Amino acid sequence: MNGEVSLSCRDLERYLGKEEERVHALRGVSLDIEAGSLHAVVGPSGCGKSTLLYILGLLDQPDAGSIIIASENVSDLPDQEWSRRRNELIGFIFQFHFLMEDFTAEENVMMPMRRLGHLSESEMRDRAAALLHDVDLGDKLRRESRHLSGGEQQRVAIARALANDPQVILADEPTGNLDTRNSERAFALLADLVRQRRKALLLVTHNRFIADACDWVHEMQDGRIIGSHPRGQRGSITTNV
Amino acid sequence: MTAPLYIALRFATHRKRALLLSLVGVVFGVAIFICTQAQTQGFAQYFINSTIGSSGAMVLRTKFQPRYEGLAVAAKNTTGATNRRNYFEGVSNVSEIMRVSRQFSNVVACAPVLRGNVSARAGFENASVEIYGIDPASQLKATDLATQIIAGKFDDFSNNTSAVIIGYKLADFLNVGAGDAIQILSPGGEYWRFTVAAIARSGVGTVDLNRVYAHARVAQRLLKKPYQASMIIYKLRNPSRAPELANHFEELFQHRTESWQEREEGNLQIFFTLQVSAAITVSLIILLAGFGIFNVLTMSVLSKVREIAILRSMGYRRIDISSIFLWQGALIAGVGSLLGCVLGAVLTWGISKVPIHIRGLLYTNHFLVVWDWRHYFWATLLAVVAVFIASYVPSQRAAHLQPVDTLRGSSL
Repeated sequence: MNGEVSLSCRDLERYLGKEEERVHALRGVSLDIEAGSLHAVVGPSGCGKSTLLYILGLLDQPDAGSIIIASENVSDLPDQEWSRRRNELIGFIFQFHFLMEDFTAEENVMMPMRRLGHLSESEMRDRAAALLHDVDLGDKLRRESRHLSGGEQQRVAIARALANDPQVILADEPTGNLDTRNSERAFALLADLVRQRRKALLLVTHNRFIADACDWVHEMQDGRIIGSHPRGQRGSITTNV
Repeated sequence: MTAPLYIALRFATHRKRALLLSLVGVVFGVAIFICTQAQTQGFAQYFINSTIGSSGAMVLRTKFQPRYEGLAVAAKNTTGATNRRNYFEGVSNVSEIMRVSRQFSNVVACAPVLRGNVSARAGFENASVEIYGIDPASQLKATDLATQIIAGKFDDFSNNTSAVIIGYKLADFLNVGAGDAIQILSPGGEYWRFTVAAIARSGVGTVDLNRVYAHARVAQRLLKKPYQASMIIYKLRNPSRAPELANHFEELFQHRTESWQEREEGNLQIFFTLQVSAAITVSLIILLAGFGIFNVLTMSVLSKVREIAILRSMGYRRIDISSIFLWQGALIAGVGSLLGCVLGAVLTWGISKVPIHIRGLLYTNHFLVVWDWRHYFWATLLAVVAVFIASYVPSQRAAHLQPVDTLRGSSL
């Protein structure tokens, strides 16, 4: 990894649950993700993939360890600052796309921009239209998100993740709810956009083909990264990717 | 438009039925508050206007002398403030007191009255009455007597010293009308004959049933009083400040002086109690509306848990999330209060047209209302406070939802 690091973490520890149900979800996880690169985290269910993603996305607090985004250690910042950095520096894509149902495709994409407050209404509208055009939804700007197909909704979610031009995109099973054709299409689109715009992408997936297409695959088991493999050196991956 | 307001408007308009239910509660709460206050105060205000119009905003009567007890120490079980005055019937030095009184800016006019209790007779009917010996010109300035005339003419009374004006209830009782004759029994046991020049309706039951106005000099001879006036009645620019002026006059003139608030304390307390009782009842309606809004917004928070998690993941702060729900409350309070004020005004107007036959303490043929901006202000304030409290709890609940719990629950 020689490029500029957009997101990194060191020795992350996280416990979930209380008392007898307490689980050691992350055990000293460290990662570096450079701009313009695609990283996949794979592993069996319950191994801590999503927990890692939410902690890196500043949605959950680690019990120990540090998170560095855009060269700044953000681990100990207050909730308000975390919100600001989520808005400015991070874009999320979820398995179930998580669009706002009462809003159109365009309005969903404009939602992060409204919070940021840097653009006028018309500028936000233009940017949302351009992003939706990039994901081949230029003709469905005004359609309510609930009236879009699953594949279309996920593409809106991709456009929304890019709305504030973040440095980091975190995706939790972004194609997990799509059929093969839509899955490949959504990933190809995401990969292209990430590479063209020099974003850092970390995605959690169970899809072997998607993991294979990433620059790095990090293998997790029992809260640990047991192996990180660059493209072309993955003979040793044994988990159920 | 801020992002929370934008989202609040969309959330609210996408739950039309819930929004409508919340609005209806606030609208009716505010409207009924305004309407009941307008009514209760309407009756009270009418009574106050009537009593001031017929008996003055302030009355000076009965000269007194402070009783000095020297250095004597009061017994332990006596209250020091009571019975320290010697009272003397009648007002002394009437002209001088009136001259000085007129120098006060709050005094519009004053009139001397010689008052006494006599018996009136017409035909076979007898009634105990209160005779008011007045100077017609002064009385016109200090009271609303001229506008209270419902039969006959005030001039017929002014120009005829053997004429009287009587209350309409007394006229009904004695079965006499303008132009008829009545007889008044003097304390000396003689019947004096008077012509009823006019009949007056003050609107205050006791006044209309007991009062007879006669000329002051005639009344003085009839009552055999050695003094010119037993009281001076005052018309004030600002009747609400009558108690302060009464205290001042009492010290200045050494005469017992009574404000209309003191004179009508009992009746005013009844009106006040009714008003407070109505306000409490209607406030409960608004509080119930608040509970409704609390339920609606709590349900809204529960149904928007996913959206809240999405917004938080996009960088919306806790304060943004709570603002979304507070804005929904503000929207309900604002629109509800506005519509409530309009409905309240319409209901108040409608109620003022409802016929009602009251002939007791007051005289009225329809509901009495008062138009006061303060009713609208308090109703709106009450609604805003109730809705704010009702929306604050759900908004805080929304703000403190952990997005990761929702996201993890949906994606494991």
